[in-house]
Amino acid sequence: MEIAVVGNSEFVTGFRLAGMKKVFAVDDSNKLNSTVTNVFEDSDVGILVMHNDDFNKLPETMRGTLSESVEPTLVTLGGAAESSNLRDKIKQSVGVDLWK
Amino acid sequence: MGVNDVKPTRSELIELKKKIKLSQGGHKLLKMKRDGLILEFFEILSKAKDVRTELDAVYEKATEKIGIAESVEGRIVVKSTAFALKDTPQIMIESHSIMGVVVPKIESSSVHKPINKRGYGILGTSAYIDEAADAYELMVEKIILAAEIETTIKRLLDDIEKTKRRVNALEFKVIPELQEAMKFITLRLDEMERENTFRLKRIKKS
Repeated sequence: MEIAVVGNSEFVTGFRLAGMKKVFAVDDSNKLNSTVTNVFEDSDVGILVMHNDDFNKLPETMRGTLSESVEPTLVTLGGAAESSNLRDKIKQSVGVDLWK
Repeated sequence: MGVNDVKPTRSELIELKKKIKLSQGGHKLLKMKRDGLILEFFEILSKAKDVRTELDAVYEKATEKIGIAESVEGRIVVKSTAFALKDTPQIMIESHSIMGVVVPKIESSSVHKPINKRGYGILGTSAYIDEAADAYELMVEKIILAAEIETTIKRLLDDIEKTKRRVNALEFKVIPELQEAMKFITLRLDEMERENTFRLKRIKKS
């Protein structure tokens, strides 16, 4: 399995430098949704890396599906998106905000 | 099961008693499972927090490094160097179980490579690009770790929620309803017995 990266060209260059091949540079935010869907359906992708700002541009349902998904697992970078995702989930499941 | 649905018979009473015992056993077990899962969750939570903080720090550093590389070498050079890389880090997802919750264990082929194994020429590129590649390789390692831990947390949370619902459903819905039904049958049976005695007395009198 591989790691896939979706984001603007500035964000993804560094990942290419680390040797990744499934790197999708999306500078047009209209195409972001379709690219992410394609990556999501690719069974060879184990981890999906995105920037927090790009993740927030996705529609609400897509965001929900992605953050719930285990294969591929979503890891967002830059900002506190992932922690707030998890934070909401922890609040919902345990009933107490433990992410502090 | 409402009180009106039960037939006030002795066999039904025995059946209900069995059901209550079973539900109480299940309730106890599920409660223990919930507590166990929460303990596991607490253990992983601190790890997840650490990994997240580390990842954020590494990301900041990596963006800084690539920014420097791009401004010194130019964006095109960095990009073309990046395209020269040939080894893609591969990940293997295995699974293991924590109290019946299947969680992934992600292993990867070595991401961090020595400078001469990366695939681009050392002479043609500057140290800034090497540093940026180094920083990004380190970040990918952290990403893999974060993905494993965060997925584990997600799965554990899902299961905690499910188990909690089951525990609550048994405690506040199933068991009380069964007990109510049992009480109804006992009362009804007693009532029928009294009716019978009274009827016999009346027959004896006349």
